[in-house]
Amino acid sequence: MATHSHPLHSISLTLRTPRLLRSKPTTLLTITCKSNQPLNRKLRAAVIGGGPAGSSAAEALASGGVETFLFERCPEAAKPCGGAIPLCMIDEFSIPVGLIDRKVTQMKIISPSNLTVDFGKTLKPHEFISMLRREVLDSFLRRRAESSGATLLKALVTNLEVPTSSNAPYTIHYTMNNSKQTLAVDIIVGADGANSRVAKSINAGDYACAIAFQERIQLPDEKMEYYQNLAEMYVGNDVSPDFYAWVFPKCDHVAVGTGTVCSKQNIKMFQRGIRARVKPKIEGGRVIKVEAHPIPEHPRPIRVRDRVALVGDAAGYVTKCSGEGIYFAAKSGRMCGEAIVRASEGGERMIGEDDLKREYLREWDKKYITTFRFLDLLQRVFYGSNAGREALVELCGDEYVQRMTFESYLYKKLADGNRWEDAKMLVNTIGSLIRCKLVGREMEVFDQRVLAQLL
Amino acid sequence: MSMALFSSPPTHLPTISPQPPAKTLFTHKAYLSLRTQNRLLLVSTRATDSGSGVAGSTVVVEEEKLQQKVSEAPVSGSDPKSESLEDSLGSNGSPAATGAQEAKFVTKFEDPRWVGGTWDLTQFQKDGKTNWDAVIDAEVKRRKWLEDVPESSSNDDPVVFDTSIIPWWAWVKRFHLPEAERLNGRAAMIGFFMAYFVDSLTGVGLVDQMGNFFCKTLLFVSVVGVLLIRKNEDIENLKRLVDETTFYDKQWQATWQDETPSSSKKN
Repeated sequence: MATHSHPLHSISLTLRTPRLLRSKPTTLLTITCKSNQPLNRKLRAAVIGGGPAGSSAAEALASGGVETFLFERCPEAAKPCGGAIPLCMIDEFSIPVGLIDRKVTQMKIISPSNLTVDFGKTLKPHEFISMLRREVLDSFLRRRAESSGATLLKALVTNLEVPTSSNAPYTIHYTMNNSKQTLAVDIIVGADGANSRVAKSINAGDYACAIAFQERIQLPDEKMEYYQNLAEMYVGNDVSPDFYAWVFPKCDHVAVGTGTVCSKQNIKMFQRGIRARVKPKIEGGRVIKVEAHPIPEHPRPIRVRDRVALVGDAAGYVTKCSGEGIYFAAKSGRMCGEAIVRASEGGERMIGEDDLKREYLREWDKKYITTFRFLDLLQRVFYGSNAGREALVELCGDEYVQRMTFESYLYKKLADGNRWEDAKMLVNTIGSLIRCKLVGREMEVFDQRVLAQLL
Repeated sequence: MSMALFSSPPTHLPTISPQPPAKTLFTHKAYLSLRTQNRLLLVSTRATDSGSGVAGSTVVVEEEKLQQKVSEAPVSGSDPKSESLEDSLGSNGSPAATGAQEAKFVTKFEDPRWVGGTWDLTQFQKDGKTNWDAVIDAEVKRRKWLEDVPESSSNDDPVVFDTSIIPWWAWVKRFHLPEAERLNGRAAMIGFFMAYFVDSLTGVGLVDQMGNFFCKTLLFVSVVGVLLIRKNEDIENLKRLVDETTFYDKQWQATWQDETPSSSKKN
């Protein structure tokens, strides 16, 4: 009745099989284990994009024994980015402390009515948010990938040929040193960012993007002193309708910027808004650079297709609420690389879509989907209106909230808290939201009341 | 005329214009008094006006002039207001803008009861007790003002007022009780009518109705309905809320959707 054999052989578990070997199994339970055919050569993988995601993927692949090619079109480029990474990234990715430009130990959140809350009272002496320059971090990770055995190719990938039959290789067309070349590989990891060409080639679908716009401003020394290890976050309709505006200290200047999803055409207006809000603190400053970048808002509809996997920004792994993407890019690259190594048993076997989904996507979703969902909820509740933002800043005054927020951010783990304090925090949240919403409603009524009095 | 007065401020939110001070002049209840001596005029100069990708453009706050207004800033429809602003405040309307300049006319929020970044509760006394309603009103106006005329945050006089200073019973008395009265009234009317209706149809009295499961379900549905649907728009809002709540999750699950049944392990 039921045929059952060793999992390494192709099996179909079927009921009632008089000569049903070729037909579709009509069963309640079908377990199909395709055998991964052993290769007589090393598995070839190409990682397209040499940022944190690509470099981590290449490093994991190369150290696992897979023949890896890392494509990066512009290794020296300074990417427009907040440049903040959590503590856990320093540990997990062994980032040398010398790369860190600044250790931010204090944060201020400012509400639309200028209620200012100091975040950071709960940080321990060894805890901080690291600010680094993207070009410094990216080149460090790339060099490490190279020393693990990956081949770094300074080339622009122009086209990706998808094979017609399974197990046939992918062909990458690229331009290197003004010459067009091709490369055949078995697996592709797409780590080429928000406008991913790899994603386009596999029809991964589109996603909504936020635009982040920032100006780098060089401040006079006494003003820079204020931002020594302090970052600021501003919320309000004047600076962003659905996100926040920031002042982040960098190596020797500050980055003042804002972002939005729904109102991209007004981004300049919001930038003026944040400049006005910070005016006294950046007086006398000089704008040295203006940059903008898209930030994905949610994962792409398809993140794995056949033997192509997307990681990092290309996959859309950016949290809502904080817009953090560097850590998740690097982590997803590493997890994907490790998944490929695991499924192919060190580069010995060919792998397929199921392996990628099972080892990489499922693990990733299991680990982080709650985090992403929770931050999405926070963004919707607290960033949606001025009333929500006032409530957010009020809540952040509470020490327990600060501790939980920082711990969750720095260690990417659900901080273990006190049940009693959790309950108090929940009650306070609801209380603040109700109060601020009532004030918000009164504000609308006030406008109309004054109007009515004049007519 | 007054329509133009109040329709303009929200649309000119980011480009701070002379309109907001005039708005306060027209509030009869002078909760907000405009202190003329504290008006600041900040003139910012931009070397190039392109605003995109220009390295080396200079932003310098040039000067703070008191009691000066730039005449080119007001837009059409607000001229009567500007004139009255000039009259009552006695400022000279000499234009201070040159071609490439963008003038920002900024007033800080001023109120005699707003002291040191918070409301001075001693000034809200009525019959020996704090008049919390007045505090709420004052805060509403302050936030409304700041929404229209965003102020830069300052380290010298930080804002420390937050709504938790106002005790819970003040909120309940002012906002919850009227709403609760309205909802209870609705529930009572629905309850009485439904009880009568069911009794007339089935002959089952009120006490016996409460023993029946179907009637209990109906009661639950009507209570939930009265609580959730208070205005006509709420039905649409609730549907939208459900969609929004599940939207992000759907985007995450999208990559698993195209699996064929023969090779799927349900997520």
